Amino acid sequence: MSRVIGIDLGTTNSCVAVIENGQPTVIPNAGGYKTTPSMFGISQDGKRLVGHLAKRQAITNARNTIYASKRLIGRRFDDPEVQKSIDLCPFEIVRGPNEDPRIKIGGKSFTCPEIAGIVLREMKRVAEEYLSETVQEAVITVPAYFNDAQRQCTKDAGKIAGLEVLRIINEPTAAALAYGMSRVGDEKIAVYDLGGGTFDISILEMSDGVIEVLATSGNTFLGGEDLDRRIVQHLVDWFQENSGLDLRGDTMALQRLKDAAEKAKCDLSLRDSVEINLPFIASDAEGPRHLNYELSRESLETLVGDIIEGTLKSVEQCCVDAGVQVGEIDQVVLVGGQTRMPLVQKRVSEFFGKRPHKGVNPDEVVALGAAVQAAMLLDNNNDMLLLDVTPLSLGIGTFGGHFARLIERNTTVPVSKGHVFTTTRDDQSAVKIRVLQGESDLAAENDLLGEFVLSGIRPAPKGEPEIEVSFDIDANGIVSVSARDLSTGKEQSITVSSTGKLSETEIDQIIQEHDLYEVQLKG
Amino acid sequence: MKISTQETDRLAQVVAIASGRDPKRLRLSAAEGYLLSRIDGRTPWRLLREIGGIPAQDVDACLDRWLAEGVVEVVGGAPRPAAVVSAPKASPPIPCPIDPKLLDPNLDIDCDVQRRILEFELSLSRPYHELLGVPVGADAKVVKRAYFKLSKEFHPDRYFRRQIGPYNQRLERIFKKVLEAHEILSDPELCQVVTQTEALVAEAVDPIVSPVVPSAAPTSKPAAAEAQSTPSTHTPQPEAKPLSKLDRLRQRMPFKIDHAAMAARRTRALEIFRAAESSLEAGRIHEAEAGIRIAITFDPTRAEFKEALGALRIRAAGDRATKLLATPSDRMSEAELRDALQLIEDVLPYRPHDPELNARAAQVCLQLEMYDDAVEFAQTLLEGAPEIAGHHSLLGRIERAKGDLKAAKKAFGDALELDPDDLEARRAIASMRIAAHDAAQGGRR
Repeated sequence: MSRVIGIDLGTTNSCVAVIENGQPTVIPNAGGYKTTPSMFGISQDGKRLVGHLAKRQAITNARNTIYASKRLIGRRFDDPEVQKSIDLCPFEIVRGPNEDPRIKIGGKSFTCPEIAGIVLREMKRVAEEYLSETVQEAVITVPAYFNDAQRQCTKDAGKIAGLEVLRIINEPTAAALAYGMSRVGDEKIAVYDLGGGTFDISILEMSDGVIEVLATSGNTFLGGEDLDRRIVQHLVDWFQENSGLDLRGDTMALQRLKDAAEKAKCDLSLRDSVEINLPFIASDAEGPRHLNYELSRESLETLVGDIIEGTLKSVEQCCVDAGVQVGEIDQVVLVGGQTRMPLVQKRVSEFFGKRPHKGVNPDEVVALGAAVQAAMLLDNNNDMLLLDVTPLSLGIGTFGGHFARLIERNTTVPVSKGHVFTTTRDDQSAVKIRVLQGESDLAAENDLLGEFVLSGIRPAPKGEPEIEVSFDIDANGIVSVSARDLSTGKEQSITVSSTGKLSETEIDQIIQEHDLYEVQLKG
Repeated sequence: MKISTQETDRLAQVVAIASGRDPKRLRLSAAEGYLLSRIDGRTPWRLLREIGGIPAQDVDACLDRWLAEGVVEVVGGAPRPAAVVSAPKASPPIPCPIDPKLLDPNLDIDCDVQRRILEFELSLSRPYHELLGVPVGADAKVVKRAYFKLSKEFHPDRYFRRQIGPYNQRLERIFKKVLEAHEILSDPELCQVVTQTEALVAEAVDPIVSPVVPSAAPTSKPAAAEAQSTPSTHTPQPEAKPLSKLDRLRQRMPFKIDHAAMAARRTRALEIFRAAESSLEAGRIHEAEAGIRIAITFDPTRAEFKEALGALRIRAAGDRATKLLATPSDRMSEAELRDALQLIEDVLPYRPHDPELNARAAQVCLQLEMYDDAVEFAQTLLEGAPEIAGHHSLLGRIERAKGDLKAAKKAFGDALELDPDDLEARRAIASMRIAAHDAAQGGRR
């Protein structure tokens, strides 16, 4: 049997791991790096470039290099977060036929699962080269706050990469698995995950090899890149004040600023002050202009302080959801490159009143955990078990536009829950069951997963018929919903498949097309 | 939440008004009076706690006081067998006969494990604490440990991708139930409600423990459950016996049934209904209707409320109709006509064959030039009273306005047949003849 890999598909970087001799190990790519940029570009001469190769040419070819596409995956084009990306990204984002955002580079438009698939295919290749065998199965991680559509799209991406996705698990959960693998005894741990594009917090309880997720919460659109953006914004403002030139419309300058900001931010984790030096950033009638700015750690912390405070609000909420006092947390695990920032470490230590755990590498721990989960599922002798939860509440829309929750968020799966509903009009003969996911009390503000009609209800005054609606989530996270008229026994049900995702034929087409490219590149 | 054995015994007790006491001389609050009225020498203490929206602890306090004062006395209720509520041993042995045919050596799962899964599945209907193998009132830590232990045994992920055939579904069913047990037992509030419900169910299905079934008790639920149960309930056969609707609901979501809250709602509904009735007597119909509607919202199961609402609607409709018919329609503006039509349509369902209403409706539709509707109303009118010439004339007038002269002629002819002196019909036929003649002349010219 071939081996199963764990992939951390990140916003900025991805990482792949496998279990070797009972220990999870990160697989370095051909360049010796343990992480690979989640970037994909088409060069001027039409070559398709992934990872480090794509990153290297990003500055000169910003319009045709895609980064941070994870922020778009599984969202609708009209989603405010997508609109925000359109304003900020140098590449073109267009409306797809299924109202999904698509990215147009090199004259061709790509769906988000396709781009994620290209990155996953690269990670698969890295693993295959290292292991000298083909890899067909993987566990992939996503941010805890990804909804059903985003998870489905990630699964599709796996398919496009030629991988069978055994399970999609949450990044903080994976981190906890990697951390908890070698632990015995009872512990409550908090995983604070501030990555490139997302922030997640999870609280887990482990005892005797069983790991239970108590609660999870976060923000899919908040991460290290927001810090970079603040720095870029600051530099652009400063440059305009001092030279009168506006760099906002200059994609190449923005790309250079973005790179410099990221580097400065990382350097400031180790040093107190860095110099940002970008010669020939722009030119006007008087000739070329250079950007030279000294950024101190202190001013960085003022620039981004509110973002970090915002994450602590989510942490507080998560503790409430988990029913755990902050003081009861035995261990805090930091995940994601952004947690290297001294300000983050300081604020997190202050919040929990204890120093974070130092034993894990924040860039690699998620991939390691994914590999652990793969082993846990497939190895019969394994004595560990993960009790995972649903990230968002599920329910149905009811009279007056309200949302009736049937399965609260953070409920352990597999699970079944039911409730009895009734009609709102006299002699109502049918009810429409709209399956929704989200946290708002208003139906319209939640995501619609699917809908169906239960008809043939015996005529009766309103309030009299009893219609039992049951939700069921199986161990693989597949949601099915049924409605039953308790007096007639008539039943209707659906298995929820999220909207807007690619059809089987579309996926096959994409796979064939990329296989063509594979041949081209090797030949 | 711990129910001591002593308390359990007490809950099974049946009390009655002590002989020789006249409860009318007691000074009681309304709630106490209601409680007293439920004491009939047959209803056990446990059910008395469930009625009338009075909190359980108040019921206990009240009964204790009356016992102490000698107002009531214990007349029955054998002490419950310890097995029903007392703490089970951890991991209780499950003496269930399983069908050996279900064991399949070809599956990727040991036969011993298969046996264990089958046995556990057969016993899923046990009370939650027995399912988890923890004592009643166990603290959250103990519950969690037990839950983790069973999860490790029965979570479907333990057999991920293995060929285990039907056992996959069995595992899922077991895990979901274990999860539910953990969820409820680790929440003190839910736990309390569920323990009560479980005890109720146990009492209702156990003919030895509860020899008398309270027929007069307001909560008829245990009685219903008993009607469904057979003496062999102790060997659970989940496949064989169709569960009653109530049992099914209880199994699925026991914590959703809050007897105290439901009883309180019912009482409240009745109070509102009584108030509505007195409004009705005082002639405040709108107020009464609103009151009854609220009562129905509180307790949709009472047929009495709905009947009252129906009667009230008919009465209100009658009043409105009478008012409407007081004004002749030919003096109304178009807007008024439309309002009138709306009103008639609202009222008609309650008095569908009222000749005056239908005649008025036809008249109004005619004035509004809605001829098809007018014909329909006129026809309904004729179905009810074909012997009145005026009704046929009305139809004739409508048909004429509509332009169907043949139908108009027939209708007027019918009217004349019934009443040869009907002026309108005579004139109409005459003028129609003249018009036809003129048209014929015109055609010739």
